[in-house]
Amino acid sequence: MKNLLFAVVFLSSIFSIVNAQEKFITKSGEINFEASVPSFEEVKATHNSVSAIIKSNGEFASLALVKGFRFKVALMEEHFNENYAESSTYPKATFKGKVKDFDISELSTDDKEYVILGTVNMHGVDKNIETKAYIKKIDDILFLDTQFILKPEDFDIDIPKVVSSKIAEEINVSVSFEFKGKS
Amino acid sequence: MKKQVKIFITLVLLSLGAYFGYNYMYQEHRDIKEEKAVVSISASELVTYFNENNFEKVLNKTVQVSGIITEIDDKNITLDDKVQCSFDTELNNLNLNETITVKGRCIGFDELFEIAKMDQSSIIK
Repeated sequence: MKNLLFAVVFLSSIFSIVNAQEKFITKSGEINFEASVPSFEEVKATHNSVSAIIKSNGEFASLALVKGFRFKVALMEEHFNENYAESSTYPKATFKGKVKDFDISELSTDDKEYVILGTVNMHGVDKNIETKAYIKKIDDILFLDTQFILKPEDFDIDIPKVVSSKIAEEINVSVSFEFKGKS
Repeated sequence: MKKQVKIFITLVLLSLGAYFGYNYMYQEHRDIKEEKAVVSISASELVTYFNENNFEKVLNKTVQVSGIITEIDDKNITLDDKVQCSFDTELNNLNLNETITVKGRCIGFDELFEIAKMDQSSIIK
């Protein structure tokens, strides 16, 4: 009986070691997007409280509350929320995916290039993306930076003809996260 | 004489149109700090609005939330591990485990960490 108990404790401790995925989190990540057209009013927004988790096996998830995107022009922010992103109906923009060939022990204080594959969900629509990302680790903080392009039409967002000349068809998204370790 | 009156009226109308048009285009942002909170509740009560699918009452509204500071970084604090409050400026003079009341705009519920989030926060006491 004692031996059995010992075996159970021993096995479960091995199991927990195998299962122990190191996790890095942030609740204050930054996402900017810009869809400006030259000589028109700047179309640009910033979000400073995006959540994200990255695990040591490269699994990566992120969530931005759409209402948190802030514009310089108040009316633009209102139109973005009410007419385009419809943030009361679709309050979240998410990303779920994986950093390809991610090995946490390979990280250094210099940026290393990786590829992230995954799905962006916004306005209730999924879109697969693949993007380059730069990751580095300084002390216990993991830095991830990436940029990619999204198109409103991919998310069933209609931009009326009247304003479409003032909003770029391709939206440049830039992401900057500083993850802290969490066991 | 009549022609001059017409020109005058046209000019007045045009400038009025430009004035209101400009004010519409460049209206001020909401001033969350000056808005009256629609509810004054604890951090876990704010989460309840989302768990009970009753969030229209708080989403995008100015709310006042009280709790104990369980996390601090440059511009954010977390209350009772339930609500994250983001500030527009850097924070100082705040300590972990301090009880605090914060006013801000509720921007939604984050399922990754199971917390509600607020932005444009200001400290009430």
